[in-house]
Amino acid sequence: MSAILYRIKRFFTIRAILGILLLLSVVYAGYRIYYKERYWGFSFGPQARTNIWTIEANVTYEADGTPVTISLAKPRSSDEYKILDEDIVAPGYNSSMKDGRLVLTSEGRDGQQNVYYRILLFDNTSGKGKIEAPVPPAPEKPIYGEQEEAIAKELLMLAKKQQGDLPQQLIRMFNQVPPEPTLVAFMPAKRSPRMIAENISQLLAYKGVPSRLAWGIKLVEDRTSFSPDLMLEAYIGGRWKLYDLTSGQVGLPKDFIIIQRGGSSLLDLSGGSNSSVKFSVLKSVTSSFNLAGKRAKLSNEQKAFENSIYNLPVAQQNAIKWLMIFPLAILVIAFIRNVIGLSTMGTFTPMLVALALVKTGLIPGLVCFTLIITLGLLIRALFSKLNLLLVPRISAVVICVILIIQYMTIFGYRFETDIGTAATYFPIIITAWIIERASITWEEEGPFNSCREIVFSLIAALATYAIICNDTIRYIMFAFNELNIVILFIVMLLGTYTGYRLTELKRFRPLVK
Amino acid sequence: MFQWLSKYFASPSELFEAGVLGMNSRNFKVIAAYNKRRLYPLVDDKAQTKELAQKFGINTPRLIGKIEFQHEAANVIKIVRGWSSFVIKPAHGSGGKGVLVIKSHEGKKFITPSGRILTYREIYQHISNTLSGLYSLGGQYDTALIEEMVNFSHIFDNYSFQGVPDVRIIVYRGYPIMAMTRLATAASGGRANLHQGAVGVGLDIKTGKTLKAVMRNKPITHHPDTGADLSKIEVPYWREHLTIGAKAYEMTGLGYLGADIVLDAEKGPMMLELNARPGLAVQIANGLGLRKLLKRVDKYYPKRLSPEERVDFILNGKK
Repeated sequence: MSAILYRIKRFFTIRAILGILLLLSVVYAGYRIYYKERYWGFSFGPQARTNIWTIEANVTYEADGTPVTISLAKPRSSDEYKILDEDIVAPGYNSSMKDGRLVLTSEGRDGQQNVYYRILLFDNTSGKGKIEAPVPPAPEKPIYGEQEEAIAKELLMLAKKQQGDLPQQLIRMFNQVPPEPTLVAFMPAKRSPRMIAENISQLLAYKGVPSRLAWGIKLVEDRTSFSPDLMLEAYIGGRWKLYDLTSGQVGLPKDFIIIQRGGSSLLDLSGGSNSSVKFSVLKSVTSSFNLAGKRAKLSNEQKAFENSIYNLPVAQQNAIKWLMIFPLAILVIAFIRNVIGLSTMGTFTPMLVALALVKTGLIPGLVCFTLIITLGLLIRALFSKLNLLLVPRISAVVICVILIIQYMTIFGYRFETDIGTAATYFPIIITAWIIERASITWEEEGPFNSCREIVFSLIAALATYAIICNDTIRYIMFAFNELNIVILFIVMLLGTYTGYRLTELKRFRPLVK
Repeated sequence: MFQWLSKYFASPSELFEAGVLGMNSRNFKVIAAYNKRRLYPLVDDKAQTKELAQKFGINTPRLIGKIEFQHEAANVIKIVRGWSSFVIKPAHGSGGKGVLVIKSHEGKKFITPSGRILTYREIYQHISNTLSGLYSLGGQYDTALIEEMVNFSHIFDNYSFQGVPDVRIIVYRGYPIMAMTRLATAASGGRANLHQGAVGVGLDIKTGKTLKAVMRNKPITHHPDTGADLSKIEVPYWREHLTIGAKAYEMTGLGYLGADIVLDAEKGPMMLELNARPGLAVQIANGLGLRKLLKRVDKYYPKRLSPEERVDFILNGKK
């Protein structure tokens, strides 16, 4: 019994517990990354962009004075595209939605009428969402005359010569050049795509395959005043498949959006004549991150999103974004101190300098910082002759640092150099303490040790800077902030590291024979 | 490439083989395990250390007086009346910072051992700085201690450039296990820190004789400034030195400590201060790793012995 207890006790050492917690945090962070990527559309780069398509439908008709009803087919959200916004420009009309169509009604009108409907879609290649595909009822068999039926049977036979599944075979046969004689007998030589589609649909129905017409728009930048393309959808193998009416190709073409499925036409109008609908497409680009809220809403994860940091006002979000990089910087410092073994001035001083460098830029920041420290040390050297008490002395150094920063900023502005303006980003108190410490080390341990400590601190600051200056890393730490929990446990595990520090390999070298 | 590396760097496994105790290991496995945080003030505050030492019969320089508040700083004249020599030191100082030795004084003139003459104004300023925390750990307000000056034995006279060397004894669970003395050099600016270029002399724990001398990580035989033969050092009253170290364990309860001991010409070894976080340079000075030694104490050294018995065990026991 006690042996088992002993084993359990040994197993649950601090290190083992921390290891397990680290593992759990990695799993949790992994899940959250997957979740945010899938449902909120977060990506791993701050530069990720999403296309936003503006589709405009322009309905024109001649009004005849009787009450008007316009019923317009409109796109629905699909796997690939999500609706971001809709907007109707139709003054004096009452608008409503019915069966996924836009319905506009109005009193009787006169003359040429123009109505606009605008919809904003965004690429949703990673979003959630499925088109419902209930099993359609078996199609009604078309009623053919005796002769027609014979021709239809022959056409179906002939189609077998073509490649692909049945709809493809039929489409290819209809497009064959020169056409089969039987086909010429079946329908006139001048065939509109709609006629082809309807005829194929009938033939499919004869064979018991459900099918329907589909209108869609190819999303191309700055395309104006065009009519939608017609395609055929057939229910084959348990799902709807989309067919191109000329090539017979299966599947949704790239950048293509279906706006109407089934028999009803794109536009139904009463109370006017000569109606037509023309479409225009406009492309714009936005940061994927800005769309996260919309995506969350579309994938029914809105509550979770509202309770996240990404729903905060921008100013607070930026403050949090800045904070989210600290744990990584702290990890770097902990590593430098406990694994590499560099002794730096103050524990987190190099980290704070690195954070300032991110804001100032590397070279201007370094030059500026060196100037502040050098000037500060000169002033501090004068102070040390005065034998001031500690608190007033460091206070005086702080004030001097503020004055130096003030003059450097003025200098930077007048001479338009980054080096001067960078000054305001350095933490004043920390800078003053660096000067104080450097000066004391200088007096007590000599210039060599003082300079060494400064150089080591700068190395630590630069190493930290090298990691946190990367935009992508900063973005990832913000977008996938669960990683900070992983860092917490890594840091805690580092607290149980009892191995030699890198610098000790050199320090204790004489002990190895 | 690797040969060049191994000239300057040891591999971790080589260090482990040599029994070297690293800083992380010291902090995690030794200090965190054996030194309770609440015991630190006993050694960080020299006034408390002194009081305790007297209770446990450990020889320390006598306390002449204490100055705790700025308005008392002027009392210094009254306090030192009747003492020709004295030392002013911060209660929370470390590494000899802020220690001012006055060899003699007359009226408002104070003379240091090097012959510098300080005015009353300067002494007052020094005490005032001490109280405001100039020399204390972390800069907190401090107390100035005025204590009796040690009448240093002359046996070390030739071994140090300025100052008087002390003996540092590492005590683990009550057993003095390693010792060294640090000798200031011109290169170290008269300071006794090894990383600043002072000479470290490892002392045989059984005899108090030189084991090895190093400066800047390299073995040396003679002091670079005085030319004294370093292999000839033999600390007298060695047993008494070890006893001070051993008693410091009972006195503080710290499982791992460093005792700094100086030799007074008349009163023998005196404890100057204790350290709850003694550095690892003692390993370099001795050419020996601490890790294996600590393990041996854990495993084989008898528990519940009196300080005297532990010293006997060290002096007579087989290594």
